[in-house]
Amino acid sequence: MEAHNRDLYLYKRLSTQVLGVSMDDPITLKHFAESLQLEFPIISNVLPWMGMAYGAYRDKPPFLPDGTPNWFGRRTVIVDKKGIIRFIKDGSPDNKEILKFLLNLEKEFRGKK
Amino acid sequence: MNHKTTLARILGTTVALAAMIALFAGCAALQPAEKPKALTPTDRGTVLFLDKYEFKRPPQNWALMKNLEGGDFELGFLVIEKGSFPSQTTFMFDEEPYGGSRDLENRAKYYCTRFLFNSGIDLRVTQTEKTQINGLDSVAISMEGENPSRDEKAKSKVYLVKKGNRIVSFVCTMWRPMNGTYAQEPFDYFETFVQSFKFLKKDFYENFEDELKKAGL
Repeated sequence: MEAHNRDLYLYKRLSTQVLGVSMDDPITLKHFAESLQLEFPIISNVLPWMGMAYGAYRDKPPFLPDGTPNWFGRRTVIVDKKGIIRFIKDGSPDNKEILKFLLNLEKEFRGKK
Repeated sequence: MNHKTTLARILGTTVALAAMIALFAGCAALQPAEKPKALTPTDRGTVLFLDKYEFKRPPQNWALMKNLEGGDFELGFLVIEKGSFPSQTTFMFDEEPYGGSRDLENRAKYYCTRFLFNSGIDLRVTQTEKTQINGLDSVAISMEGENPSRDEKAKSKVYLVKKGNRIVSFVCTMWRPMNGTYAQEPFDYFETFVQSFKFLKKDFYENFEDELKKAGL
């Protein structure tokens, strides 16, 4: 999260908006965002529909047998300007890889214009 | 214990080992083994680190710490000192210190809330001053603190340095048991390291900004 915060000025130049998604409630996330001085939105997704939509469960079920939501894993997803998923990676994000990918995406987008 | 599974695991390991040995053997035949050195001495009394940085290193009893797979720091040195645990000092250069602000003062305030947080040390800032490191604006922060329940205390000096559009850091931390005494000499080596530190190549972010400019972004 801090690494994304550090790179926001570069994301802006690449016409990219960062969104964090978590299953924590909005109050917890407000404190979390304030404590890390995050300058991008964090979405509270208590019932984990976004986690399901973006495949953040891998080997786990999104809901446990008793109906409670299971926690989703750490996943980075890049969606292009047409809404198409162009990049998925699990685990800690590699910001340098993400920046390079976004630069190529932006070049591709401008080339098609 | 399922013997079939165990056997399969052993076989799998053997196959993998065989493949790796064959691969290394192939490399050995093509290239005589010569490990690239991380530190290369210069005739200026400094060392080069992977052709990226030049600096004066501490004495040979300080071990080099280098980061092979990304993480909290770029390179550093460690010495285990006389006295009971945890008598040791580390210092390092870090390209991505805690925080996101690109303003030195804001970054310094935030940095102090995160630094050594996981150690349980009750850290206090003893001095903060604006300074310059090799012509670059920076903030020097001195900190000290204790954790009596673990019989540990620490003393740190941090430089946050404005380098282009980003902030990098140099950090030295000396650890001692509660009844131990801090030494000055390791901090002197750290100061020499910092004051002599030169960036020989553009870093990833400087190159990336060049690419953005080229692309008209």
